[in-house]
Amino acid sequence: MFTQFFGNYLLHQQLVSPEHLSEVLQSMKSTRLKLGVLAINAGLMTAAQVEKAHDEQQRVDKRIGDVMVDMGFLTKDQVENLLRTQPAGHLLLGQALVDNGYMTTTQFEQALNSYKQENSLSDADSANVSDDTARKLVTHFYNFSAGSNTSYMTGYVSLLFKNLIRFIGDDFTPMDARAVSGTLSDCIAQRIEGGLSAITIIDADASTMIEFASRFAKEQLTDADEYTQACVSEFINLHNGLFAVNVSNDTGVELKLEPQCYYDNLDISELSNACVIPVCFSFGTVNFIISM
Amino acid sequence: MSALKVMVCDDSMFVRKKMKDAVAAAGVTEIIEAADGQQAIDKYKAEKPDLVFMDIIMPVKSGVEALTEIKSFDSSAKIVMASSVGTQENLKEAILAGAYDFLQKPIANDDVAKIISKASK
Repeated sequence: MFTQFFGNYLLHQQLVSPEHLSEVLQSMKSTRLKLGVLAINAGLMTAAQVEKAHDEQQRVDKRIGDVMVDMGFLTKDQVENLLRTQPAGHLLLGQALVDNGYMTTTQFEQALNSYKQENSLSDADSANVSDDTARKLVTHFYNFSAGSNTSYMTGYVSLLFKNLIRFIGDDFTPMDARAVSGTLSDCIAQRIEGGLSAITIIDADASTMIEFASRFAKEQLTDADEYTQACVSEFINLHNGLFAVNVSNDTGVELKLEPQCYYDNLDISELSNACVIPVCFSFGTVNFIISM
Repeated sequence: MSALKVMVCDDSMFVRKKMKDAVAAAGVTEIIEAADGQQAIDKYKAEKPDLVFMDIIMPVKSGVEALTEIKSFDSSAKIVMASSVGTQENLKEAILAGAYDFLQKPIANDDVAKIISKASK
């Protein structure tokens, strides 16, 4: 998650163009080794165990290494040793930017140090993002202080980015939040009720929606049809479900999810305490409209 | 191969497909679908499945409402509740309403296979 926010910082500083960043983020997907692959390679886990841990990680809001430890597949020391053999995502990003001639090593080093300083982040924070670091990154990046549910909003958005990495992919850049206005067409929404009243809407053009759904379903879809809508709906349902579990565990407040809805036209101008969070993937921009 | 007749009930076409794949992978050949709680009740009465996988959050009639109604006319019904919200509260509600088991989404094929094996005994 550090990599994605750092990517936005590079854009803001005009050190890299959106096209070059997107290209490099996509190319990184094929070069970065996942913890499971490293564990198999080291003879510490079997492929079946890695698959089980990945299944479990989709149902709990924990880092994959912690899940592997909880399931008894690895010890904490083994996870740390494996992670040490893998360069952190932002270092791979820097390497790719430098290799492609989009930045110099000095520019990258200066940008990285400035970003860490501005966000009060240590080297350890950037190498292995904890829940606290994730909240720190989100708090610093977005200004949610205007609303009354700042803490919920920060937790919700931190989890959203973790779930995007978990279910869709890490080749995205979070963009600045903006105010809501106007009407959306062909979007998907889910309401949360109970101890908190909220709505989340996913909005994107048809081809972006198809690619988002394809990645979530792990199958190549071609049409913006009911099945594609169902895939995107299930992403939002899983995300909201994990959020409800976190809120229940952390505060004892119980949330209720409503069935997801598809809207061909939805007026969002009246939503209270709402903002649009655009997330720029290599295949298009997905807008998350969140009101809570 | 399992001789069980299994019903999968979820308002999401995507989840129904994934669930049917998981049930079929566990050796079940007779699979019925329902898209909301009311359909689940109607199809249960007509088809008498041996095992039901039921989503909790659905339009028309929720999974827990459907579970309660089915149990009122068939107390031996085996209904597994599935939800993305795996809180103690939801688990407790499902168990109190007579659920056979509880699955947290996203559904893992292994968990489905274990439940089918348990229900076959």
